Amino acid sequence: MSFLRKVLQRLGFMIITLVAMSLLIFFLVEIMPGDVAQMVLGQSVTPEALKALRESMGLNDPFYLRYLRWFTGLLRGDLGESLYMRGVQISMILWRKVFHSVILALAALLFYVPLSIFFGVLAGVRSGKLSDSVISFFGLATMALPEFVSGVLLITLFSVVLKALPITSVIPIGESIWGNLDILILPAFSVTIVMFGYVSRMQRSSMIQVMSSDYIRAAELKGLPRAYVIFRHALKNALLPTITIIGMNMGWLFGGLIVVETLFGYPGLGSLTMTAIKTRDVPLIEACVLFITFIFVVSTFITDLLYGLLNPRIRFSGAEQ
Amino acid sequence: MKKVCTVLMAALLLLCAMNLGAGGQQTVEEKLIIREASQVPGLITPGVWDGQTLSLNSSIYDFLAELDPATGELVPSLATEWNSEDGQVWTVKLRKGVKFHDGTDFASEDVRFTIERTQDPDLGHLQKADFAIVERIDTPDEYTVVFHLAEVRPTFMYLMTAYNMCVLSSEYDYAKLGEMKPMGTGPFVLKEMVPKESALLVKNEEYWNEGYPKADELRIYFVPDIDSSVSMLEAGKVDVCPFINTIHKQNLAAKGFKVVSPYQEYRFVALSADREPFDDNRVRLAMKYCMDPEILAKVCQGELGSDVYYNETPILNVLAQYKDIPLRGRDINKAKQLLAEAGYPDGLSVELYYASDHPYGQELTQAIKELAAPAGFDIQLKGYTRDVYLSQYWMDGPMLLTGWGPRVDPSMLLMLAYQSEGPWNESHIDDAEVDELIAKISAEVDEAKRQQYYDRLQEVFYERGTVINIQVPYFVAMRPEVKDYRQPPTFMVQYEYTYIEE
Repeated sequence: MSFLRKVLQRLGFMIITLVAMSLLIFFLVEIMPGDVAQMVLGQSVTPEALKALRESMGLNDPFYLRYLRWFTGLLRGDLGESLYMRGVQISMILWRKVFHSVILALAALLFYVPLSIFFGVLAGVRSGKLSDSVISFFGLATMALPEFVSGVLLITLFSVVLKALPITSVIPIGESIWGNLDILILPAFSVTIVMFGYVSRMQRSSMIQVMSSDYIRAAELKGLPRAYVIFRHALKNALLPTITIIGMNMGWLFGGLIVVETLFGYPGLGSLTMTAIKTRDVPLIEACVLFITFIFVVSTFITDLLYGLLNPRIRFSGAEQ
Repeated sequence: MKKVCTVLMAALLLLCAMNLGAGGQQTVEEKLIIREASQVPGLITPGVWDGQTLSLNSSIYDFLAELDPATGELVPSLATEWNSEDGQVWTVKLRKGVKFHDGTDFASEDVRFTIERTQDPDLGHLQKADFAIVERIDTPDEYTVVFHLAEVRPTFMYLMTAYNMCVLSSEYDYAKLGEMKPMGTGPFVLKEMVPKESALLVKNEEYWNEGYPKADELRIYFVPDIDSSVSMLEAGKVDVCPFINTIHKQNLAAKGFKVVSPYQEYRFVALSADREPFDDNRVRLAMKYCMDPEILAKVCQGELGSDVYYNETPILNVLAQYKDIPLRGRDINKAKQLLAEAGYPDGLSVELYYASDHPYGQELTQAIKELAAPAGFDIQLKGYTRDVYLSQYWMDGPMLLTGWGPRVDPSMLLMLAYQSEGPWNESHIDDAEVDELIAKISAEVDEAKRQQYYDRLQEVFYERGTVINIQVPYFVAMRPEVKDYRQPPTFMVQYEYTYIEE
């Protein structure tokens, strides 16, 4: 019962977050210089054309009226029409890009999660030895490397020098992403480089802590094989902080890869958000940012649930309360 | 969990490996395909705002007349001939047998619809001011249109080449469909559009110009920035990459790519005539005496007189209407003297507003600042992104650097930007002689007389004008195999002539 209440509480919090975020975005775009009508007309703008375009876009209406119009549409499940591309439904643009972003996020997860956990565990159980130093140094170095730097390095190495991978991640016209999975490798590696440091270091320190605890010593004294102790007893507890880090970065991974997507020209949600902001296309900005926020909130929620599943103390203490 | 991850990762790597393998085997394409990387948001409007990129528009739509990029002459397109005895009543004969992509016939009603649409108050058409002189349009038959103008306009047909004056169908709902399903009579038909991503156009088999287009398909990628476009060209993913800057030009040319400059663009330094300090012509002249055209050309990575041009009038050096007035020459002492006479013996401070992300913006403004400093000008550079510059500062600063596209007929630009009542009079010039000369240029039928007015206008600008005109090249890079790329100063790429010679 308390678990259900907790879930409902979190759902309520999630809705409040989304509404507050949508208001904030509307307000921020409002105070940004220029508007979508100005962006569409560019330097060819005449006061007359600007007036007519603003009128037809409803931009002359008060802020709250525009927000309410958009919000009531959203409640009906209508994301609205792009202001920059007239006649284009946001749903036509958004879901395709979300799909691409999900594919990229999954590819990145498949690369960096096992790699980071494996090397984190390795560094943790071999703490103070050469392998630990090498892994820790590499982790620190990659943490300090912004993705546009690692991305350029990867492009230079794999695309320009070795000519092994495509230089851009554009899907050829008339083809789908499934026939072009090689375009995912460099962006996914770029994300892996960024995340490897965080996750592996977190895994390492948590592993060191768990390995020095009494129950692990007891297991070792019982004569259980070391690999069994590490993977059956230690890893399960040592995974908790790592899962938190991975979960907290899920929103970023599924929609916030603006730099990576722009650098590689990948048609995902990140690059779409960037274009929407550049063109002051409010309904599109709202759709993109709310989706990213939604992913953030949901992933945090799932992380908490997983945390409870992996750590019975949290579950039980929640039930007692 | 671990097993699932391992299996998934192995599957992904396998798929990638298969893809890589397939990448090496080029599918034999029978079709001739041209691929272009076009930057978004570089959207324009065939009507008003219901449009797409330049190349998309020029491929889907046709115009009544267009410019021959080689000669600069007006040549027939959907209009086969036009004439006017007095410059006020224009009779235009239309091409027969032309069909829109939806199968309907092109006729004089479509021309009437296209022109009348410019005056729709709800539309705010960008050509509204230009076509306000059209008093009446008669369509005596399906293939004849007669325009009755309120005043004499000898260059009226040039208006038809404006980028947003493509001929639209009177039966099509452009307000609703113009963006996603643009439809015209042009050489290519839109087959598929992925918003914010790409467009696939196929050959119009019914195209009126027999033997064209030469290509079977035109594939346009909408990419976020110029660097992505260049990467795609280098990677062989596209054949044509427009809007490159001088640094890209040098790099790409060194790698064997072909770089062409179809036309020059203006960079106008506007000296505002209605506020201090440039309301005093002596200060304007002082600024002009500080300029060194050779250095300005060098900072644009070009040579004066071949890539970059300079004058003090609003006329492009390459146009027939240009009067070759000798350059003023840099004279700092003269500039100081003029400033002292104007009441600034110790120099003055002035703000220069510009779009920092527009090609040549940073280079030119920095050079202008340094060139003008020895005379006592302390120029404060105020660079903003193009959207902020255009929405907040353009038309409202003491000194501006603005990029302008070329106009096929210079009088079009003069009326917009240099008449006291012009809608884009960014330098706020209000000179009775200039107004009178522009009015005469617009109305004079006799070409020799018109040229005399042009000559005098340029002399006036040299004496007391409000502009420094630096003309910079617009570059397009392409694979060397791309042949017959044509783009007149109307911006509209004529892809129907282009082909790939492997």
